[in-house]
Amino acid sequence: MLAACGEPTTDAGTAAQDLTLYTCLSDETVQPVIAAFEDSAPGASVDLFRAPTGELNARVAADVRSGGLRADVFWGCDPLTVQDLVDQGLVGGWTPPEADAIPAQFRTADYVGAHLLYMVAVHRTDVPAPATWADLPAAGRTVAVPDPSVAASALGALGWFAADPGYGLDFYQRLADAGAVQVRTPDEVTTGVAQGLYDLGMTTANSAYAAVDDGSPVAVAWPQPGAVAVYGPVALATASADSAVAQDFISFAVGPEGQQTIGASGSYPTRPGVTGPSVPAGAPVVHPDWTSIAADRDAVLGGYQRVFGG
Amino acid sequence: MSRVGRPAGARTGTAVAAVVLLAVLVGYPLLRLALVAADEWPGVRPAGLGEALRNTVVLAGAVTLAAVPVGVALALVLRRPDLPGRALWQAAVLLPLLVPDFVLGYSWTQAYARAGFTDTLLGVHWAGLLGPAGVWLVLVVNAAPLAYLVVAVALAARAEPDLERAARISGAGAATTAVTVTVRLALPAVAAAGVLVFVLTLGSFAIPQVLGAPAGFRTVTTQIYADLSLGGDPTSFVRAVTLAVVLVLVTAACTAPADVLLAPRLRSQRPADARPAAALPARPAVLRGQTLALGGYAGLTAGLPLAALLLASITRAVGVPPTPGNWALDHFRTVLTPRTAEALGRSLALALVAATLLVLLGGLVAVAERRRAGRTAATLTTLTLVLPGSTLAVGLLLAYGRWLSGTLTLILLAYLAKLWAVAHRPIAGALDRFPPDELRAARVSGAGALTAVRTVALPPLAPALLGAWLLCFLTALHEVTMSSLLYGPGSETLAVVVLNSQELGRIGPTAALSVVLTVLVALPAGLLWWASRRWSAPAREVPAGVG
Repeated sequence: MLAACGEPTTDAGTAAQDLTLYTCLSDETVQPVIAAFEDSAPGASVDLFRAPTGELNARVAADVRSGGLRADVFWGCDPLTVQDLVDQGLVGGWTPPEADAIPAQFRTADYVGAHLLYMVAVHRTDVPAPATWADLPAAGRTVAVPDPSVAASALGALGWFAADPGYGLDFYQRLADAGAVQVRTPDEVTTGVAQGLYDLGMTTANSAYAAVDDGSPVAVAWPQPGAVAVYGPVALATASADSAVAQDFISFAVGPEGQQTIGASGSYPTRPGVTGPSVPAGAPVVHPDWTSIAADRDAVLGGYQRVFGG
Repeated sequence: MSRVGRPAGARTGTAVAAVVLLAVLVGYPLLRLALVAADEWPGVRPAGLGEALRNTVVLAGAVTLAAVPVGVALALVLRRPDLPGRALWQAAVLLPLLVPDFVLGYSWTQAYARAGFTDTLLGVHWAGLLGPAGVWLVLVVNAAPLAYLVVAVALAARAEPDLERAARISGAGAATTAVTVTVRLALPAVAAAGVLVFVLTLGSFAIPQVLGAPAGFRTVTTQIYADLSLGGDPTSFVRAVTLAVVLVLVTAACTAPADVLLAPRLRSQRPADARPAAALPARPAVLRGQTLALGGYAGLTAGLPLAALLLASITRAVGVPPTPGNWALDHFRTVLTPRTAEALGRSLALALVAATLLVLLGGLVAVAERRRAGRTAATLTTLTLVLPGSTLAVGLLLAYGRWLSGTLTLILLAYLAKLWAVAHRPIAGALDRFPPDELRAARVSGAGALTAVRTVALPPLAPALLGAWLLCFLTALHEVTMSSLLYGPGSETLAVVVLNSQELGRIGPTAALSVVLTVLVALPAGLLWWASRRWSAPAREVPAGVG
């Protein structure tokens, strides 16, 4: 198939049109984005490596020790992971002009948020919805929380609660005293609540709405002072700084068309005005301070683990 | 050179092959991991290491002590040809092996936890399921089929009906005969099963994670996963690798004494009986009791949890009643797409090649360890078995990623390294009843090397080889952790395609995948079994009520 007009950036080498993408984003979202990008840039081809964050980190660490990172673009699911890669000099140093359209709290000079996760409350339909996060610990109900030493989204929530004067680590102490249970991932919280093992819990909006759409007997609440927003940054590998196709991909992902594709696939886009999955009207959102979470990570996790054992 | 005394050239060849393969599959990847731990060690002892280590070792010991006796009991009961419905029971007992671990954890909570089957129907649930006791029980149930398989293939290779009859005629009861004759002769296999279960439990991850985490129960493997998950920060990666190396050292310390000191003492010198193995008939009352116990065991450990799984695969959402009104085939539609068909072909080919090579590799170590110098080989193969999939995959990437990253070859190497011990132990458990004298006799009488192996060595070993092959094939078919870390364009395996399409942990599609795999394996197996029965039917009287 021939495109009517060639992109000015295309050049002779075919190898220069290939790029390798490492991501923890689900196939449901990343595959449509890749397809739309390959349609918009004839000749470009994306080799995808997708894995849960733990496996993804292991692959990067192994790459680094056996010849260097094999990704041209890294699309993470939380800023902490990507900042760690920036600190090692593996990614960063460039963001596309389109990044200016993304709100400032979702980007740095090294990476730009392309999608969002929201930590919300999921509850069984026969249990009242929590109006505030402080309503979560309640006698006679079992609450499930995801493990912040496994899921970065849970760590983001922990960081926000710990730093907020109205909550602090005390919040987790009250949860533990009320018999709250810690499971591994947000998805396990959702499954456990849907199954009836727990009455309510803290999970991601995507996971909770997927269960609602399936027809599980659960509902989603966005408690005050707000759902905790966790953004997924996309960054250019430093070894691929000259790759035009890798830069094009990042521009595409945060540009209008890429963002619409992300929204249509069921993930939350970062670009204002692009339609994504449901957010109730007026739903409150709070933003963790990622820099201070990164700095205090061990102290906050240590405090948390004294509360939840383990 | 003498034609008879097992040519020195062949011996040296075996030894060299074993050393080279051990270096490639075990030694070098482990060395690369150890170097990461040594060179980049941040100098801080991981918090909670002592507790995690203690939990891990105590759990492995407790699981072994329970799973091996259960496996032996199953093997003793299921070897009776007069047991009604024997083939059906044999298949039922092996069913848990077909289910990926984390789905097994889910199916147990769905069966026995709060709001599960028993809670809904009888108002009883087991709160302890989410905690150390639950982790232990589900691991025991998961390991018992393995122990059963290892002991059963050994019993098939080494039955001594004459000795058992002699014991009974001399006045020994059935139980005494079983313990002093049957099990005594199978001790090397029992030990092999013990080592295998112990090491597998040390390295088990999904079940401690799913059932243990809610109670704050941490093991070394769950700690490794936490370290890998959190951030791309090099310190936590090095901590994960260091923990994995500690786990390897613990395994070496536990299995080496068993392999070097204990194993040679357990071997008996009697040649295997050439006649087909048949257990003595039992009294009808005993048989009825055994069938009842077997039915109870299979129902509670496989039937109910797997029924939960089957229902999960056809129920449209988690948490809605599994009644016909809520049935839908959506999860199967997710699992069965053109992309998965391609990946399925790849996974089947990979599992076939891996299982076949593994039987050869297992046999090689089993032969090598019959000499004093070769005994450590058996221990070495357990070291890659204990490594969690994520760390073993990292070791292989460090060793060979420069050349093989993203290829099917690297995934195959990972399967071989991970499952070598799983292939070796069942073969080793059966091989010791096979003194070299018989081979020598065949060679002296003029048989060529291949003919001697085919006609003398293979027939008594066939059940063990088949059992080892089956274990490796089934495990490789649904392996997910290593392939999801090692795949590249064009080398996606079935589990990677199915489980990666959504966040890992969605129950419905994973349950559907287990059902599809079960049917895929059960269909050809059932046909083969039916065909073999038809061909051998005139030779044997089939008891009424079978099948």
